[in-house]
Amino acid sequence: MNSSLLRNSLRKLWITFPVLLMIGCGPDEGPEPVAPGEEPISFSVPNGFPQPVYSFQNNPLTQEGFELGRKLFYDPILSRDSTVSCGSCHQQSVAFAHADHQFSHGIDDLIGTRNSPGLYNLAWFPNFMWDGGVNHLEVQPLAPITNPVEMDETMANVLVKLRRNQTYRSLFLSAFDSDSITTQRVMYAMAQFMGAMVSASSRYDQYRQGTGSFSPSEINGLNLFRTHCESCHKEPLMTDMQFRNNGLDPQFASDPGRAMITGMPQDSGLFRVPSLRNVVLTKPFMHDGRFSSLTQVLNHYSTGIVQSSTLDPHFSNGSIPLTSQDKTDIIAFLYTLTDQRFISDRRFSEVQ
Amino acid sequence: MKIKSLVLFTLAALLVTSCQDKDDASPSSPTSGSVVVDITNVMGNTNVDETGSTSYTTNAGETFTVTKLKYYLTNFQLLKNGEVKYTMPESYFLVDESDQSTTKLTLPRVPAGDYDAIRFLIGVDSLRNVSGAQTGALDPAYGMFWTWSTGYIFYKLEGKSPYSTLVDSTFNFHIAGFRNSNNTNAIREVVIGFNGDILNVTGGHSPELHLFVDHLRFFNGPPNQMIINGNENVMTPGPRSLLYADNYAGLFSYDHIHEDSH
Repeated sequence: MNSSLLRNSLRKLWITFPVLLMIGCGPDEGPEPVAPGEEPISFSVPNGFPQPVYSFQNNPLTQEGFELGRKLFYDPILSRDSTVSCGSCHQQSVAFAHADHQFSHGIDDLIGTRNSPGLYNLAWFPNFMWDGGVNHLEVQPLAPITNPVEMDETMANVLVKLRRNQTYRSLFLSAFDSDSITTQRVMYAMAQFMGAMVSASSRYDQYRQGTGSFSPSEINGLNLFRTHCESCHKEPLMTDMQFRNNGLDPQFASDPGRAMITGMPQDSGLFRVPSLRNVVLTKPFMHDGRFSSLTQVLNHYSTGIVQSSTLDPHFSNGSIPLTSQDKTDIIAFLYTLTDQRFISDRRFSEVQ
Repeated sequence: MKIKSLVLFTLAALLVTSCQDKDDASPSSPTSGSVVVDITNVMGNTNVDETGSTSYTTNAGETFTVTKLKYYLTNFQLLKNGEVKYTMPESYFLVDESDQSTTKLTLPRVPAGDYDAIRFLIGVDSLRNVSGAQTGALDPAYGMFWTWSTGYIFYKLEGKSPYSTLVDSTFNFHIAGFRNSNNTNAIREVVIGFNGDILNVTGGHSPELHLFVDHLRFFNGPPNQMIINGNENVMTPGPRSLLYADNYAGLFSYDHIHEDSH
């Protein structure tokens, strides 16, 4: 009798307690229905990822800072004649690469010399650009803004334009508690947007965490990838963050790559090992976009490696032997690296 | 007994003194004052004219005019008898000859005392070159920042010379580099003694230290005699930049101290 009374009281408490909690939250703080991709922005390290290089330590991630960075990313105000934005050459539908462009056209339709890379998982990168010339996420946007064939603008003039814009003044006020607009704050906001762009929801991620399955071809492709590719395209970021010469050319006078930054001859012809996440979307391939399909890329590695003085030691025995079935299976695996959730996440889209 | 109270008195006095030290943050504190470093940029015997209308001649006989002169002075310290007595936190100054307000550098809250030398860096320390977006004098909007290969430009001298082989006769010296790893470190430390004079800082008293900076030595050295012809554009870190860096280490000389700038 007593014990059942107690049980009843406990049961009542179980029901009452959450109700009390909900009342305690009040109507203002109650959970609102959130559409997928419109959750508040946050940053967390996905399962199995290493610790990020950029940790938002001096630049805490806030919704307001992120939204300001997002607006700046899509605003051509950053270019000299307001025609080119970051989003012009970094499109979300192709993982923030430039769809079907070997080289992107910047201001006055001027053409660059390197292929626009996809943007994701940037918080894990110790440096940026194909040659690694930019050493910090917070100063990365300065490179395209000031490049004469990209946005051809000065940061001083960007600040002039932003400061006379009432919308930006109030956005800076809400993001940084004062409407003072400095280069540092512009870069902080953009680093919040770019740093929060995490791609870790591909079928490969589900497979590696045991929550998804692969076809036999995909499994074979993954095994071949681990045998032949993974030493440079290291899991789970799919890059070892190094610079390597993968046997494209016999000499590098037209673009010495990493050597332009270090000044060291042994770095001539070395370029960033790109992440292969979303690789199906980010064509064309290589630093100069010379290959338009993954088949061409695999043909290069299986039969097309060119000898040169700085060729990566991984290719010291020549090319990688791959049968046509091997290539089919590797490509099947590479398709699993596409992150549909990332490319359709409305938090990273241009505000209409 | 007497000794005991003397000790107590001294201890109390010390405590009071240390309390006052903590008040250094207050500008009215009698235990600190500001020091103004007043910089005069010259070419030999004449002031730098960066409008491009005055011609100068190097020891190699090359004539040139100046259109831009900017450089970073950072990490200031004051010394006495070879010992560092004061290190100014966050001391980053960009001297721009076209803006005379930037040629007077104020070191605030310098502890009261006597100093006989000043030490600083030409350039920006490596830490600030690898730590992301900076502000104040280090705002990249000042145009003293390489965006394609991250790093501050330490010393920028631009102008024209009939000895330049470029079509518009210009020259562009953008000297920097902060890495020891590939031997491109162009940061140079400068120590300037006051020739026996004393920089005396007391409360509410702002002495002014006058330094001359002779930019003709950028070309003449010592140690290196540089030639404009064929070297018109030096805009990447590397061995050639270091020759100029070794020269700019020797630009500064002591002129005099004003007891009070007011």
